[in-house]
Amino acid sequence: MILSCENLGWSVKNKAIVSNVSLQVETGEMLGLIGPNGSGKSTLLRMLAGVRAPASGTVKLADSPMSSLRQRDIACKLALVEQHADTEDRITVRDAVELGRTPFLSALRPWQGEDDQIVNRALDAVDLRGFGDRIWNTLSGGERQRVQIARALAQQPEILLLDEPTNHLDIRHQLAILHLVRGLPITSVIALHDLNQALMCDRICVLQDGQIVALGAPSEILTVQRLRNTFGVCGHFITDPYDGTPVIRFHSAHKES
Amino acid sequence: MTAVDLPRRRSTARNGWYWAVIAPPILLGALVAGTALGETPIPWEIVVQVLCNKLLGTEYPVDRIDAGIIWNYRLARAVVAASCGAGLALSGVVLQALLRNALADPYLLGISAGASTGAVAVAVIGLGGGVISMSAGAFIGAMCAFGFVALLAHVAGGGTGLRAAGVIILAGIAGSQLFNALTAFLIAKSANAEQARGIMFWLLGNLSGVRWSDTVSVVPAALLGIVACLANARALDAFTFGADSAASLGISVKRTQFSLIGVAALVTAVMVSITGSIGFVGLVIPHAMRMIVGTRHRALVPASALAGAVFLIAADVLSRVILPGQVLPIGVVTALIGAPVFAVILIARKANT
Repeated sequence: MILSCENLGWSVKNKAIVSNVSLQVETGEMLGLIGPNGSGKSTLLRMLAGVRAPASGTVKLADSPMSSLRQRDIACKLALVEQHADTEDRITVRDAVELGRTPFLSALRPWQGEDDQIVNRALDAVDLRGFGDRIWNTLSGGERQRVQIARALAQQPEILLLDEPTNHLDIRHQLAILHLVRGLPITSVIALHDLNQALMCDRICVLQDGQIVALGAPSEILTVQRLRNTFGVCGHFITDPYDGTPVIRFHSAHKES
Repeated sequence: MTAVDLPRRRSTARNGWYWAVIAPPILLGALVAGTALGETPIPWEIVVQVLCNKLLGTEYPVDRIDAGIIWNYRLARAVVAASCGAGLALSGVVLQALLRNALADPYLLGISAGASTGAVAVAVIGLGGGVISMSAGAFIGAMCAFGFVALLAHVAGGGTGLRAAGVIILAGIAGSQLFNALTAFLIAKSANAEQARGIMFWLLGNLSGVRWSDTVSVVPAALLGIVACLANARALDAFTFGADSAASLGISVKRTQFSLIGVAALVTAVMVSITGSIGFVGLVIPHAMRMIVGTRHRALVPASALAGAVFLIAADVLSRVILPGQVLPIGVVTALIGAPVFAVILIARKANT
């Protein structure tokens, strides 16, 4: 297990946003984090990323408590793609992706040709080759999201945390990003809203009111009962005739009859 | 400039050696120009001869009065202007980068307000019984105000994200208002018309009284600013997408904010204590340089320092020659030039996107 947390808690003005969350992320898996709005997904991801210090509990990265690690050492192993990362600076796409190399650089280890190659590969991976000189504020929402993902890839992380990375993306790029993450030989934790996309994950963790209410393989976790209790919708599983995979079709919650 | 040659020029500008090569001659040229130009223009040859006599030990025959004006008066003044411009521009770069606010300037943290209170307390009330100079009083006042703002921001603090930046800005506004009110109170209560006019002149920024002794504090302060900013150029870059993003890139956010904002405050306080609060340099120069060299701090820091130095030398020359027989407060000149330039930048920026 590469990333884990015990009894994590975070609250704002006595309202618990995340409480008593314990989770072990297995090496190499793609763990989906799902839950309704306000269930604490973003807060949990930030605490797992070491960006926000938990109010209670501990996060461990490769068996070391995160609070004992230097921020730079964390960033060499783990990258976070935030949901709303924006800037007013007129930064170019290439410069933004180059930021991903920050934790590896120092006075003794200046920028090298290798870093340029890593940045090129990251741009290619998110289909942004040729966008290098574009200015941030000329990009669409989806292009910005892909820049952020490229920036995270440029960190060459062992663990990638993504907070609703498919927001703002058109369907082609949604699928491209999910398959990209799925195909990376690294551990990933990904907060998702689209439950059909969550079915692609190795395991799913369901958050409700800041607590884990279910954790396991998608087929075990995403049940009609779960959809009704946690998300307040009625879901029916149908089978995709193309490849035989399950698809969820949603309806508004029926009144109990 | 075309879209094609822009990236190439950017990458040259980002090379550290590029700035190490072009900055010294430009700065030297600006210093000589700042010394030669004035109400009574002195020919360049004489300026260069005096500088050679003083610095290289040559013995060109020059008029002793000319030599005195050049060396003791104008060159000292140009050196202080350059240091001050570089220091204020860098403080602006740091605060705009860390607080993620385009309107952040060196005086945001209550420093100029505190400095004016300190200066007024010494000059009008006679605090310190004549032992403390007006500059020392201004410096103490500036640091008191910054301490107040920092404490307020800490007590009201909101973690590390955008909210924290917002809290610092609000605390700065509260601190500035408080110390400005104190200054106004002291002037209204105790100053006579003559003192009030003198204070007014000082508040707008003034290089009239500076001598070599003043360079002892402003030159090291400017160098401190340059070294601190260059050493943290990557950390400043990492704040582009906010403090949380910087943290996820491995930046120790609190330590960086604490130390760099502290340096910016100290540099600004030193400058203000010598020259009064010269406005607009710290706000406009960083924005203008971002337009020219891009947003990466490896280029932005040296470019802003150099541009700030040259700009303030030029503003000082103008302040001496614009009205014959009269010296304008330099802050008036910087704002008179700065405001239209800023307007042009804003419009050009819109046209570019």
